[in-house]
Order: sequence, then C-alpha cells, then structure tokens
Amino acid sequence: MSDPVIELERVVKRYQSGEEVIEALKGVDFSADLGEMVTIIGPSGSGKSTMLNMIGLLDTPTEGVVRHDGRDVSRFTGDELTEERRSSIGFVFQDFHLLPMLTATENVELPSMWDTAVDRRDRAVDLLERVGLGDRLDHTPKQLSGGQQQRVAIARALINEPNVVLADEPTGNLDQDTGETILEELTRLKEDENVAIVAVTHDDQMLEYTDRTVEIVDGVIQ
Amino acid sequence: MSVSELLWRFPSAQMAWRNLGRNRLRTALAALGIVIGVVAICSLGMATVALQQQATSQLGSIADEVTVTSGQDSDTDGVTDDQVETIRNLAGDAEVVPQKTNSTEITARNGEEARMSVTGVTNAAALYNLTSGNAPDRLVTGALISNDTAARLGLEVGDPVEYDGQLYRVRGFIEEDGPSFGPPGGGGELVLPESALSDQDHYDSVTVIAEDGDAATEVGNTLDDYFNTDDEEELGINTFGGADQVGGFLDTLSLALLAIGGISLVVASVAILNVMLMSTVERRGEIGVLRAVGVRRGEVLRMILTEAALMGTLGGLVGALGSLAVGMVVFQVITGDPLGALGWSSAQYLAYGFAFAVVASVLSGVYPAWKAANDRPVEALRG
Repeated sequence: MSDPVIELERVVKRYQSGEEVIEALKGVDFSADLGEMVTIIGPSGSGKSTMLNMIGLLDTPTEGVVRHDGRDVSRFTGDELTEERRSSIGFVFQDFHLLPMLTATENVELPSMWDTAVDRRDRAVDLLERVGLGDRLDHTPKQLSGGQQQRVAIARALINEPNVVLADEPTGNLDQDTGETILEELTRLKEDENVAIVAVTHDDQMLEYTDRTVEIVDGVIQ
Repeated sequence: MSVSELLWRFPSAQMAWRNLGRNRLRTALAALGIVIGVVAICSLGMATVALQQQATSQLGSIADEVTVTSGQDSDTDGVTDDQVETIRNLAGDAEVVPQKTNSTEITARNGEEARMSVTGVTNAAALYNLTSGNAPDRLVTGALISNDTAARLGLEVGDPVEYDGQLYRVRGFIEEDGPSFGPPGGGGELVLPESALSDQDHYDSVTVIAEDGDAATEVGNTLDDYFNTDDEEELGINTFGGADQVGGFLDTLSLALLAIGGISLVVASVAILNVMLMSTVERRGEIGVLRAVGVRRGEVLRMILTEAALMGTLGGLVGALGSLAVGMVVFQVITGDPLGALGWSSAQYLAYGFAFAVVASVLSGVYPAWKAANDRPVEALRG
C-alpha cells in the first residue's frame, strides 16, 4: 500500500476556554489508507471530535503536523483548507444536515454547485441510484425517511470524488436495521470508490464493519 | 421555464431564491417594509412635482420674466437706450422688450369713456396674446386694445383710437384671461407703437423674458450685480420674488417630504437587517455544513447578499408599481391630470425609489453576510 492519505503526527490542540487552557489533543499520531475504514471510539470529551476536525481539515493543530495526500496542510489558511475540503474530503453527519429546500439530487450536487463549469448532475443521479434512491431524485429531505436522508448525505459526501470521507456518528440517529444498511452502504462505497472512511461512533454495531479501531481517552490514543 | 431553473446558472441566486422561499411570510413581511418605504418616498416625491406643476401653471409665464425699471439712485427718469443695450448683452438668449408707458382717457363714439394705460412697445408679440391672430413682433402702425374694454367701447378691428392727437387703427384685441398688470381700476390697456410715446426719452420698464423661472432668476441676479451695488440702485430689478419664494418653499417642502420617505426606507432596511441577521443565525449550522463541504466564504457571502438584493428588488418593484398608482391619484387630485405622473419629472422618483430599495437592502445584507461567511466552520457546525 502507498503512503497514508491522511496522517496526524504528534498533533496537539489547545483551546483557550475562559481563563484556562484546555489541551484537547496531547500529541496524537494517526493515519488512514485508501480503501480502509477506521473507527475512532472514546468517551465524550475525550477529543474525538477535535481529532475528526483535524482529519476533516476543518481546523489546524496548535503543534504537530497534518498531512493530506502526503502534503503538509497544518499551516494552511482557512481558504486553502476550504479548497482542500472541496476537492477531496466528504462529510457525513449524525443528523444528516441536508438542506431542506433542495431536492435529493440538488443536495448531492451542493458541494460542486458553485462550479458552474462542471455538470455533476449525471454523477449525482448515478450516486443516488447506487445508494438505492433512484426513484427519490426529486424528493425533498422532508419526504424522505432518516435512513434515506443519510444515504443522500453519503452520496453528497462522494460527489467530488474525495479520497477521505468523514463520518460523525453516521448511525447515531437511526434505528438498528437502518443503521446496518447504512454501514453496508459505506463499506461497499469504500471499496467501489477507493476512499478512506474515518468514523467516530458510540455504536458497537459499527465495529463489525470497521477494518481498524482507534481508541482515544483524554486526548491520548490508547 | 420556472424561476428556479432560470436561476440554476447562478448558484448564489438559486440558493438565495430557495432560502427566501423557505419562510415566505417572513420574506413577505420584510419586503413589505421595503414596499412601504418605496411608496412613501416615491409618492411624496411625486406629490411635490404635482404641487410644483400646479404652482407653475397658476403663476403662468410671469415667473419667467424679469422686469427692469429705473432705480432709486438713478439720474434719469427711466431706463436709457444704453442701459437697454447692456441688458441685451447680459441677458444672453432671453428676449429683451423695452416699454414706455403712460395713461389716457378714451371716449368712444357710443359715449362710453375709459381710462386706460398706454404702452409703447415694438415687440408686442413677446408680451401679448390676441384673441384672434398674432401680435406683430414689430408694431409700427395701429393699436392693440384689451378685449373687454374694446367690447365696452364698441370698438371693432379697423376703428380708430386717438392718443396725443394722433389716430391709430385697432389691429387686434388683447386676451385678458391671463394675469393682468394693468393699473388699478382695471381700465384695460392700449398698446401703441413706440413712436407714439416718442416725447418720453427713456423707457419706463424693460421686460426680459427668460426660458423658465430659474433662468429668469439668474438673469435678474446678473443684472443686479452689474448695475447695482449695496449702496446704489441704478436699476430696479424685479424677478417676481413671489414666484421665486413659492419655488423656494416647494423645494423646502419636497426636501422635507423626501426626508420623511427616506426615514421610512431606513426603517425598512433595519427590518431587512434584522430579518437577515435572524435567518443567518438560525441557519448557522447549515452554513457550517456548506463551509465544511467546501463552499467558499465568498460564495456564502454572495448567497446571502443575493437574498437581500432579491428581497429589495421584489419590494422595490412592488413599491414602484404601488407608487405609480398613488402618484396618479395625487396628480388627479392636485393638477387634474393623472397622466402627469408618467412624465419624467415625476416618474424619476420611481427609479430613485427602486434603486434606493435595492441599495438599502444590499447594504443591510452586508453585515449578516459577512458574519455568516466568516464564521469558523468548526464553530458553526456545532449550531
């Protein structure tokens, strides 16, 4: 296997919270490869979300290095990080976060909507068909069930052909059976699209599908 | 093709349109604020135009005239030929009509008597309208006479009138329905060639007829500067201060009314600012998602500014249409001609009102848009 697609090296993140400084990550090392699903577990307040923000290029570390595709992105500006996310990171959220006024297809197209030069309509429709929503293309989120909404979100995460997909509690708002289908979907797409999937979860069911589990406690990988 | 399909090529506009559609009542109420602001500013502006038109038509042409007479400190008992020549040079395009005046008593063949003012003038056409035909612009023979007086005296065209021992044939009747500046008593006016009053060396008055009231004021000021100083009044310059004052009053009135209209538009923009701020705060998490999936700051900014602009455009359009209706009613009431509202002098307020609405709305959107665009996605995602 080649170099890891995403890599954290001795990453430290400190926040100023009122008078005191909180150290959310205390020198974290982490990496994920293409075609791999890694699950991060840990109690709340352990630094899971902060870690996911680093991996998702939503935030930069106080110390240490974050590499994406072999490039050091730790000192990127906000706008540079936006470009990086736009071109190669996908997001799946716990409560789906679809835009209520857009149809399923439009929601999938959203990340590339401002690139008027590229027509992503065909890929959006193709992705929706692959997650089993070929007959729901023009439905708005309100007209879809939770599991269907999460599948739209998965299609959205893949629209820009990313190499990393971040999933923050992807089954957290779904019942057992629906959660299972979502996890099957993610596993299948991970292979089809050859992406690294990094998930954060409390859900034990997820551990059956993951290739590797990383536990973080109090800002330190166990 | 639906509006949203048309907007597809403009993603910010597309998103803005959808966002506005999510809470139609709120959008409509915010736009209503703009509508009211635009209607206020436009219809008040149009009302002042109607008042101005009405005032101008009532004052008639005298507002355009400057009357020059001999000043208090003049050595002569009238305006001299040299002074008339200077006035002609200073007045530019305006017509300069020197006149000599006197008064006389006329006895008609039917025994009626009338005391009349006599005006000796060459360019009669510039000063008088006749009931039939045109006054000559070089009056060298004959006479013009007020139509009322002529009727009373039983005079017809071709009849002779005597002044200073000379006979003049009546050539036409002067229309008296305009403003009359005959002597008190309303004895009417007899207009003769200048030569009839040749025993007077100087002109009693000079009328300068300018393009409009403003031009007349300008000519008046120019003449005043040239001939008079603070201490010495060589010539009396009368620009019909009345008309001037009416104009000044209307200008003040229209400023005051526009200020009231402007305030209501400011109130409307504050309402839009509030609505935009609320809706961006509500959508904080959603905007965080946009930013997370790679939508640029500038794109979020454009989207929210477009929302404000669309609201302003919508409100501005409806407001302009409403104002047109109100303006036509106002014109009907004040001048009796509803179509007067369509003239540029009044319709321009519709354009101003519309432009003001769009600009004010976009300005109100700047802060919410900037705030939303610069929110860190990590923070925004937490909602």
